[in-house]
Amino acid sequence: MSSSLSKEPAGAPAPESGGLMVKAEKVHKSFGRLEVLKGIDLEVRQGEVMCVVGPSGSGKSTFLRCINHLEKINAGRLWVNGHLVGYRQQGEKLYELRDREVSAQRREIGMVFQRFNLFPHKTVLENVMGAPVWVKKQPKNEVRERALALLERVGLSDKAPSYPSQLSGGQQQRVAIARALAMEPALMLFDEPTSALDPELVGEVLDVMKQLALDGMTMIVVTHEMGFAREVGDSLVFMDEGVVVEEGTPRDVLANPQHPRTQDFLSKVL
Amino acid sequence: MTADTDVEKGRPEAIRAVPVRHPGRWVAAAVVLVLVAMFVHFLVTSDALEWEEQRKYITSDAVLKGVRNTILLTIAAMVGGVLLGTVLALMRLSANPLLSSASWFYLWFFRGTPLYTQLLIWGAIGSLFPTVGIGVPFGPEFHTWKTQELVTAMIAAGLGLILNEAAYMAEIIRAGILSVDEGQQEAASALGMSRMQTMGRIVLPQAMRVIIPPTGNEALSMMKNTSLVAAIPFSELTFTAQTIYATTYKIIPMLVMACLWYLLLSSLMMVGQHYLERHFSRGVGRAASARGTRVRFRGGGGGQ
Repeated sequence: MSSSLSKEPAGAPAPESGGLMVKAEKVHKSFGRLEVLKGIDLEVRQGEVMCVVGPSGSGKSTFLRCINHLEKINAGRLWVNGHLVGYRQQGEKLYELRDREVSAQRREIGMVFQRFNLFPHKTVLENVMGAPVWVKKQPKNEVRERALALLERVGLSDKAPSYPSQLSGGQQQRVAIARALAMEPALMLFDEPTSALDPELVGEVLDVMKQLALDGMTMIVVTHEMGFAREVGDSLVFMDEGVVVEEGTPRDVLANPQHPRTQDFLSKVL
Repeated sequence: MTADTDVEKGRPEAIRAVPVRHPGRWVAAAVVLVLVAMFVHFLVTSDALEWEEQRKYITSDAVLKGVRNTILLTIAAMVGGVLLGTVLALMRLSANPLLSSASWFYLWFFRGTPLYTQLLIWGAIGSLFPTVGIGVPFGPEFHTWKTQELVTAMIAAGLGLILNEAAYMAEIIRAGILSVDEGQQEAASALGMSRMQTMGRIVLPQAMRVIIPPTGNEALSMMKNTSLVAAIPFSELTFTAQTIYATTYKIIPMLVMACLWYLLLSSLMMVGQHYLERHFSRGVGRAASARGTRVRFRGGGGGQ
């Protein structure tokens, strides 16, 4: 991939089918003096489902937030769908993108949060319809149809007029997934989507995510659900202390971890 | 539900115990009752209140004009205060240190000096700034006005109240914005919404729930504080009452009449606030939005 990188002015990997959706090159991120990411190199192909696991504080959520520029990286390069995230490169010089340009980049990246973060003052339908209408200025009727179809897809058509506070955690998270999908993103980020849920509600969210994976969505999933990683994941990344310790197919990594830190972590969670 | 049917179903009989007696409450109630009776007796029999005199003036043109001016000033001060206060709150929260310290300095001055003193200064603004002009800062002016002619008593009163109110509203709005979960802004950003959209559609509507109750209090105090613009002087309700008793010497009747008007206005405002609060509590707490009036539960048979 490095040869094609040098050809394009922005050093971008080509976004064609089967190409790279995400490319991270020596990504560093610090909060004050605390370095959370210490050089992350990763590639996610189009249609791939990558699961990221690791102990808390390993930097996996931070890395996810860097991908849609909720956090600014301090060093390295990060591309999504062929675009350098948060910057424009001209020659050797990097220019920060304006807010408007950053927002435009984020439109092709959907994100699902641990605590759902639905808009509590809007109904379920308004939550799903909001961004396409306000941001993409798409006609309301068209968006409403699509939103209802999405709610049906996550099994919640009957909840359209409800407010988020009237829904269970699992239902709220499924609405959050529908809300992200309404922007028709090319990539979906999941930040521990089931960690805040009661155990009996985890399954319904994972089922929706599994269906999404089967439909060919490119997904990066930070999770503690090893069963989901094994079943749905195309690749598994184990992170610890800000570095990628081990990477491979979920079956290999889970069954036969090579690194002692991976072995130690898996022995505790499996 | 009778005890019999309960027993038939195998349920134990409902408890029927002798309630605890509260003699203290009875004494307190008796004292209050006596005080209320004395007050009513005073209202009916006192000559000092001169209800006839009050009835003569309460809907007179001068008083109605004073009431109108009080209402106008309250509305202007609150609308202007909220708008300017929002700007000051956003400045305060800005990452730019110059903007946030300018806002801090503004609050420091207007919250640190008495409103009455500020209004006295507005009354004499002509001697502070003899002329007002449009032009280049420190350079030539294209047009110049005499402050005395430009700033009428009404404008001086309005500006004085607005600038003071904005300082208090800024803190209320800032607290409201900070009360909204950070995750809301993140979710909005992640969906590609701009900062303005996030603020206008996501953060501020949710902040309103926190902003409205203290703003209602502010509006109530503002309605009463308009009486201070007598310092300018400007003829709102209290000043009008004063003007009337300056010639009739019926001081108490006119002041009580003013109080009745203030009570009517504040009661109307409280009703309005109730509906505003209900509107902005949409989606928060399953019960909060559905319940119109709060149900009070009485202690089981206490005292009877």
